[in-house]
Amino acid sequence: MPPTLPNFSSSVKLKYVKRGYQYLVNHFLTFLLIPLMAGILLEVLRMGPEEILSLWSSLQFDLVHVLCSVFLIVIIATIYFMSRPRPVYLVDYACFKPPHTCRVPFATFMEHSKLINKDNPKSIEFQMRILERSGLGEETCLPPAIHYIPPNPTMQASRGEAELVIFSAIDNLLKKTGIKAKDIDILVVNCSLFSPTPSLSAMVVNKYKMRSNIRSFNLSGMGCSAGLLSVDLARDLLQVHPNSYALVVSTEIITPNYYRGNNRAMLLPNCLFRMGSAAILLSNRRKDSRRAKYRLVHLVRTHKGSDDKAYKCVYEEEDPQGKVGISLSKDLMAIAGEALKSNITTIGPLVLPASEQLLFLFTLIGRKLLDPKRKPYIPDFKQAFEHFCIHAGGRAVIDELQKNLQLSAEHVEASRMTLHRFGNTSSSSLWYELAYIEAKGRMKKGDRVWQIAFGSGFKCNSAVWKCNRTIKAPTDGPWANCIDRYPVFIPEIVKL
Amino acid sequence: MAAPAIAVESLISGVRLSSVGPGEVTGTDVIHEPSNMDLAMKLHYIRAIYYFRSSSVEGLTIFTIKECTFRWFNLYPHTCGRFRRSESGRPFIKCNDCGARFIEARCSKTLENWLEMEGCSLYHKLLVSNDVLGPELGFSPPILIQVTIFKCGGMALSFSWAHVLGDAFSLSKFLNLLSQIMAGHQPPNSPLPKPETKVSKSNNSSLLAVELRSVKRVEPVGDHWITANNCKMENYSFQITDQQLEVLSSKLFQTAQITPFESLSALFWQCLASITEGSEPKTVTICRKDSDNREKETLISNNPIINTVQVDFSVAEADPKELAALIMEQKVDEKSKIEALVQQDEGLTDLIMYGANLTFVDLEEADLYGLELKKEKPVFVNYTIDGVGDEGLILVMKGLRNVSDGSNGGEGRTVTVVLPKNQILKLKEKLQKEWSIA
Repeated sequence: MPPTLPNFSSSVKLKYVKRGYQYLVNHFLTFLLIPLMAGILLEVLRMGPEEILSLWSSLQFDLVHVLCSVFLIVIIATIYFMSRPRPVYLVDYACFKPPHTCRVPFATFMEHSKLINKDNPKSIEFQMRILERSGLGEETCLPPAIHYIPPNPTMQASRGEAELVIFSAIDNLLKKTGIKAKDIDILVVNCSLFSPTPSLSAMVVNKYKMRSNIRSFNLSGMGCSAGLLSVDLARDLLQVHPNSYALVVSTEIITPNYYRGNNRAMLLPNCLFRMGSAAILLSNRRKDSRRAKYRLVHLVRTHKGSDDKAYKCVYEEEDPQGKVGISLSKDLMAIAGEALKSNITTIGPLVLPASEQLLFLFTLIGRKLLDPKRKPYIPDFKQAFEHFCIHAGGRAVIDELQKNLQLSAEHVEASRMTLHRFGNTSSSSLWYELAYIEAKGRMKKGDRVWQIAFGSGFKCNSAVWKCNRTIKAPTDGPWANCIDRYPVFIPEIVKL
Repeated sequence: MAAPAIAVESLISGVRLSSVGPGEVTGTDVIHEPSNMDLAMKLHYIRAIYYFRSSSVEGLTIFTIKECTFRWFNLYPHTCGRFRRSESGRPFIKCNDCGARFIEARCSKTLENWLEMEGCSLYHKLLVSNDVLGPELGFSPPILIQVTIFKCGGMALSFSWAHVLGDAFSLSKFLNLLSQIMAGHQPPNSPLPKPETKVSKSNNSSLLAVELRSVKRVEPVGDHWITANNCKMENYSFQITDQQLEVLSSKLFQTAQITPFESLSALFWQCLASITEGSEPKTVTICRKDSDNREKETLISNNPIINTVQVDFSVAEADPKELAALIMEQKVDEKSKIEALVQQDEGLTDLIMYGANLTFVDLEEADLYGLELKKEKPVFVNYTIDGVGDEGLILVMKGLRNVSDGSNGGEGRTVTVVLPKNQILKLKEKLQKEWSIA
């Protein structure tokens, strides 16, 4: 017993030292100002009212001086307030909850694969191993056309899926926020792999009879990180157009993209991608500042496409048999790590408290000047954020990020549970994760959320939101009737 | 017979396969152990077809039907599992929600035309799946559902049901639950509780199949649960009206105190005996529903009363009244002996019950016409069984309803026979000649 005690006590001491240091550095200005203000107050008290008045008259102010000073102050204040960016509020969002008729248990997926792909037992074996280790649960959903043996991906079926997922989410959102479709000024729809003519945004405008002067955009081909790209576009537009509502719809349409070949690198998406979508309402109206759930604080985009390896790591192409599929390279995790580092380098200074930034600076100087072999200091992002939403791209992605950012199991719980319940829903997965945190009642006013998305290109995008009001656990939403079962323990390998 | 074969293939088109299963997650590592009686019946399959006129299915889409089946399977998710073998080799069901196969098809004939053709087993096979469990047991669905839309808008809804799950009474009760769900009623809380599966201890540890007359051991089938026949078996359905039943009971039996099942069984036994002169069926098996303690048992199970009747006189020349009396008399139920036999070797024995002897199955009490769509009963319901042994099988069930007439009016009886092909032709001739039964 005695040998362990010194370690414990020393680690406790270290913790308190660290705490003290953080408190000191983060509130440095306060510490500086307090003695200054105390000093002035004491001085004023000491001087007494007559002395203050005599000091005032000795300054010899006349009307012109006063007026000019006032004007100057007013002009500076106006310029300051005008050049500040308009705040962007997230009024509310809605996620699509797939019907239980679209459910795909593991056993059904494997049986269908066997029937479709009778001649390739190795592919079947591979898919089974992927599923066992995927971290998905038995309630994830695929669109109706993919349930057929063999799957039936017609254009009509793809449109059917798009209508189902997008319209459900938007109907839900309009009901929750109480706004009418005619009030929407900006519409951004992103769906990477299905891009019909007319576009999905035109489909939304048609269904909801939106105004003829709506500013609509349709982003396709931009991968799983396109959700945050759409939010970025909407934010920029909201800077230019005052008093506007922006509707952002993020989805991925699975029907046309079921891979029917045997190339292993291309079979992975079949096993992981599932049906889902999210509709988000953004606003820059002042009156929404009270009812909005979140306010957008930062949005940082990092594009590693200039590097050839990163560009090719998620690549849609034909396999040797001529079947089209999305090939995931073996370097995916390494490239994701690099992209994340770039993104962190930009976002770190914006969000980290001064204590962490100083530490990072000191260790950087230390590495450069004293000892290059020292491990780089990874800033503690847990101090900057209360909640993390990591794109549920797959179990490996979440594991990697948990390790790199040194996050606890609770921080990545939203991501893991979303992967388990809904699978990889691509760009909308971040919103399912946010809905999980709200459903668990963990979102309080002032909490900061970090959404990280990865996507083909290779891109890493981050968004930082600040919670505007404490959110009561909602009674509807995609987690409504299953939240009590979560969190679940997800074993390394699920025996099929 | 080449010309009809070509015509048959063009009757059904647009076949699409998918799967339906329970809407709710059953959980991990949930298993269902079939009882000994269940395993004794594993080589048999019930094929049930329900025919509906177009007014019953107006506005009903495939999606609506599928949606209801998801809620329906929540009640008994073990029917959507797959078979595995335990270490001892005894089969059990892993409740992995894999689901039932769902087949969609279109038929180029109208419902009326089809029913006029109906009776021939060749056509019956087009409307219901002929799949059996195996050779890959872990990937074979025990239930296959087929929806065939006729040219006039009518529909044939068929179920291929592995007998190891339950008997025909279980299937018809389970289907009546589906009817309630499709009508929009709230189903009972799911899944329904299952009682303990009672394992009866055998007193005689060296019980052999030889001692049992109702079942026969067959060549081991491994994981492909179907037995081969020595001759080609076909099925045919006879429609017997109420008037014909009256004529039968007055002429043959001179009494009204006889159930249609007993009178028809005696009639068919005698007819078959006269057809197969020289090798008359002297032993028959009678299979009935166990009416006692039905409520205590679970809805889906194999719970028959099995008796055998053995005679040493010539059946063809016997007095039908005597045959009927023998059928009516319920001797010792062989069910518990069969269970003991299966228990002995952990379900590894492969047995057949239907067709081990000429078997008569009494389905009179099954509410086959209880599966209603839009409050309308089906026009016709036919149950048949696959995997029947060479001696043949005769099912007696409630009969065809008048197409124009709803619930009133005479029901009559449908008698479906599964017999060697040559016997069916002769039987048809004989019944037509002597009793005008078609």
